[in-house]
Amino acid sequence: MTTPLPPGIQLEKVDDRIMTLNVGPQHPGSGHMRLIIKVDGDYIVSCDPDPGYVHRGEEKMAEYRNYIQNIPHLERPVIHDSSNILYPYCLAVEELLGIEVPERAKYIRVIAAELNRCIYTLYWLAIYGIFLGHSTMFMWPAGDRELFIDLLEAMSGARVTHAYLVPGGVRNDLPANFEERCLRQVDYFEKRLKEYQAIFYKNPILISRTEGTGILSRTDAIRLGTTGSVLRASGVNYDIRKKEPYDVYENMDFETVVMKEGDSYARSYIPYLEMFESCRIIRDAIRKMPKSGSVRTKLKPNPKGGNDEVYKRVESGRGELGYYIVSNNRPEPYRVKISVGSFRNLICMPYLLKGELLGNMPSVYWGLNYWPVEADR
Amino acid sequence: MSTAGGIIRALNSGIKHLAVRRFTLRYPEQKLKFVGDGFQFNPETGVGIAGLRGRHILYHDHCTGCQLCAVACEGIAEAIGMVKVNETWKQNKKAIMPQIDYGKCVFCGLCVDACPFYALYMTNDYELSSFTKSALIYTPAQLAVKPKISQDVEIKIDDRGATHG
Repeated sequence: MTTPLPPGIQLEKVDDRIMTLNVGPQHPGSGHMRLIIKVDGDYIVSCDPDPGYVHRGEEKMAEYRNYIQNIPHLERPVIHDSSNILYPYCLAVEELLGIEVPERAKYIRVIAAELNRCIYTLYWLAIYGIFLGHSTMFMWPAGDRELFIDLLEAMSGARVTHAYLVPGGVRNDLPANFEERCLRQVDYFEKRLKEYQAIFYKNPILISRTEGTGILSRTDAIRLGTTGSVLRASGVNYDIRKKEPYDVYENMDFETVVMKEGDSYARSYIPYLEMFESCRIIRDAIRKMPKSGSVRTKLKPNPKGGNDEVYKRVESGRGELGYYIVSNNRPEPYRVKISVGSFRNLICMPYLLKGELLGNMPSVYWGLNYWPVEADR
Repeated sequence: MSTAGGIIRALNSGIKHLAVRRFTLRYPEQKLKFVGDGFQFNPETGVGIAGLRGRHILYHDHCTGCQLCAVACEGIAEAIGMVKVNETWKQNKKAIMPQIDYGKCVFCGLCVDACPFYALYMTNDYELSSFTKSALIYTPAQLAVKPKISQDVEIKIDDRGATHG
């Protein structure tokens, strides 16, 4: 009886009105994290997210490996968005080492990043669908995701952990006939994407569950420091690809999708609309890409960074993703800090869930585009 | 009214798919086709050649026993160890060659990028499961075997949807 209780857990008496629910941490619709929810009947009184269950010390591990050996383990936090999580790392290391990237490699990187954004968004949409009880919406995105996985496998040689982007360019050139195959599959995918409208987004059952739940106002979204689709769903036009273009994004023809509602429905609709923009970027990049040329600048073995520090950020599937790297004249970085979009979006969770029905928890939680493994790093 | 209409439209868009051919692949009978003969690397230009990153292939007549692949794998998976071989090659005085533990390998292919002698490539062979952990450790002799592969299914897209083969 004297054993101390774990943090966040308290014993309840029979006549207590408020009940504490632990959602998670072992994946009952929450991902690998725990939500400590206090309920009064069916209504949520307070919510306390408790991340850190899958912390694996990526930042510390990066201090013991050189700039190339860091690549495989740094993409592990989000294996289905692995090009985007490596993108800022490559940009930062290139600035540290003073490497110039060939023009063709920049376009190939943009194609890889956009294909990967679609893979991530489809995976997220599949989980979003299944946790709202719509099993067709799990099957369709999971199947269509295969089109993009196939393309990235042809490009990089692996289905999920691509390790394709490296400081200095990309690992290998595109295979023969890739452009034609990519355009064919992207065209077909856009046609499929339009079919999602009738079955999911225009479905009155989904609308009744998500419209008007968990409203995040424009001022709150800015004050809480949210990023990515959550910020754009609250009516803020902010996308790193537009505001601070990296590589060749300034030449690309696309628009930022913004919605004013700020509710759960808008947060689920924005990533879907962004997939159309991704398709546009892929098509544009294939058209504008130089037809031949080098794709990788040769590095010295075991390159050393100077006494310097850099911060580079990109727009990932979950929002702004930045790497802060400090180097002190050694082949290994002195400090690597990863700033991820997931972790920043988690902060609005307690505000959104207060007074909400417990049944609306999954739609609010997954609408935040939160990925626990990335947030814990 | 609009609620009922929306539900009917949603059901209708799902029912339409009863007539569409299935997209999934019957795996052990059908296998996906990959580009090329696996991931390769050209040390002169410093650029790889696209292909699947599956099991490695080791060319004994090129390997010098320089251990660069094992050094590259340190801190990533530590799957590569150098072992003695009972072969005499002019370029390999120490007679050591890499041995790869596929229980640890993450298939990043950075060992292929590290090899300057065209000795270590990767192949399209990805079916490596075994009943014991020790069977996953591939000796230099096992790594030299070229895999027999019959992969011929591709994604086909026509008016009736996408299918495999």
